[in-house]
Amino acid sequence: MDATEAAAVLARARQGDSDAFRALVERHSRSVFRLAFRMTGNEQDAEDVVQESFLRAYRQLGRFESRANFGTWLYRIVANCSVDLMRAKQARHDQVRGDSLDDAMELPAADAPGPERMAQSAEIQQRVQAALSALSPLERAAFTLRHYEGRSIDEISAALGLGTSAAKHSVFRAVKKLRAALAPLRSLQS
Amino acid sequence: MTHYSEDDLTLYYYGEGRRRAAIERHLDACGACRALYREIAGTLAMIAAPEAPGRGDQYGLEVWQRIRHRLPERDPRPWRDAWASLFAADRLGLAAAAALLVVAAFVAGRVWPRVPANTPAAPRTAAAGEAGRAPADVRRRILLTSVADHLDRSERVLADIMNAPDRGDISTEQQWAGDLLTTSRLYRQDAVDAGEATVASVLDDLERSLLEIVHSPSNVSAADLDEIRRRIDATTLLFKVRVLGEELRQRENAPAPAAPRQTGKTG
Repeated sequence: MDATEAAAVLARARQGDSDAFRALVERHSRSVFRLAFRMTGNEQDAEDVVQESFLRAYRQLGRFESRANFGTWLYRIVANCSVDLMRAKQARHDQVRGDSLDDAMELPAADAPGPERMAQSAEIQQRVQAALSALSPLERAAFTLRHYEGRSIDEISAALGLGTSAAKHSVFRAVKKLRAALAPLRSLQS
Repeated sequence: MTHYSEDDLTLYYYGEGRRRAAIERHLDACGACRALYREIAGTLAMIAAPEAPGRGDQYGLEVWQRIRHRLPERDPRPWRDAWASLFAADRLGLAAAAALLVVAAFVAGRVWPRVPANTPAAPRTAAAGEAGRAPADVRRRILLTSVADHLDRSERVLADIMNAPDRGDISTEQQWAGDLLTTSRLYRQDAVDAGEATVASVLDDLERSLLEIVHSPSNVSAADLDEIRRRIDATTLLFKVRVLGEELRQRENAPAPAAPRQTGKTG
């Protein structure tokens, strides 16, 4: 689909043409899933976010400005849907989250595997995932957008509807927590 | 010598910040900051992007199949205009009429003469449709349809509150919430009367959140908004509203209860 065709499809979708919206869903689903997976760290949650994001996008198409980039607009919706879902999950599992925070901090000391084993990237990533799970939804979202998606602080601020300072501090808090949680891994690596 | 903070060095790692050249020079000269930067960079380098499970070429189509029946009616006009028209006087009149219809259906159900249990049931044909159903069934269906619509509208206002900027004017959302609140009370009472305990319970939770939105300051602070969101999250209200809405739609479309299963042709 070239740029002119994409613009025409988008215009039809904005006028309520469901076939045109279907073309947008088919075109963007995989990238939406990838972002949702990075944001939530969970396949089933990512699927929920994909569906909710497209439903929300459909409802809000009237607000979309045709000069803007649809992909960018959609990624903001995905980011916010992910935060909503993580907040809802956090509310349901507050107790569990507290436990997992402790777990994330204590993992390396708890079973103290040797340096060779620790060097295995799968194990490191598992511990990284535990540390990421202990972040607040907003911290995780801001960190994901900065670290994995390469978005600037200004872009994160726009995507999550935060002030620049709040976006920046969400990233800083995430990095601090991750450093604390992963410090034992660093010492074992060095 | 002035040292740089962890936050400065984090921004530097990500290629942001205004003092990049100065930090670079400082890192060449300062061992302490260089060590801190190495530690930050080393930790962040360990965090590789997780590989998302693969999704095939047909994935977009699968997503479409999952959502196509859930696409709501959409008004292409800008949202504030859409809201304004939603609450225009004629719409409110329609909502009031719908609520009145529900109440009337309940009253009719209560005074409708009951057919004695031993009376042979009149033959029913498919054409008889709704008219042939028991009044209680019709009444229940009217209630389910009305509540499902009500939940759709409530979901939208809750989602907008969850996604609103962290502070600012929420007067439009409040106006909407206020209108929904009145209807919600009516439906909750109807649900209690109809023995729909789950529906009544979700509507009760919904009422509390709507009430909180209505009674918040119009220019809401970040803390107030956070409190509203926390309560919505704590009761997993958005999730419940969505799930119940879907469940009611399914029940609405389900065939009528099997009760007197007779057709025009009995053989």
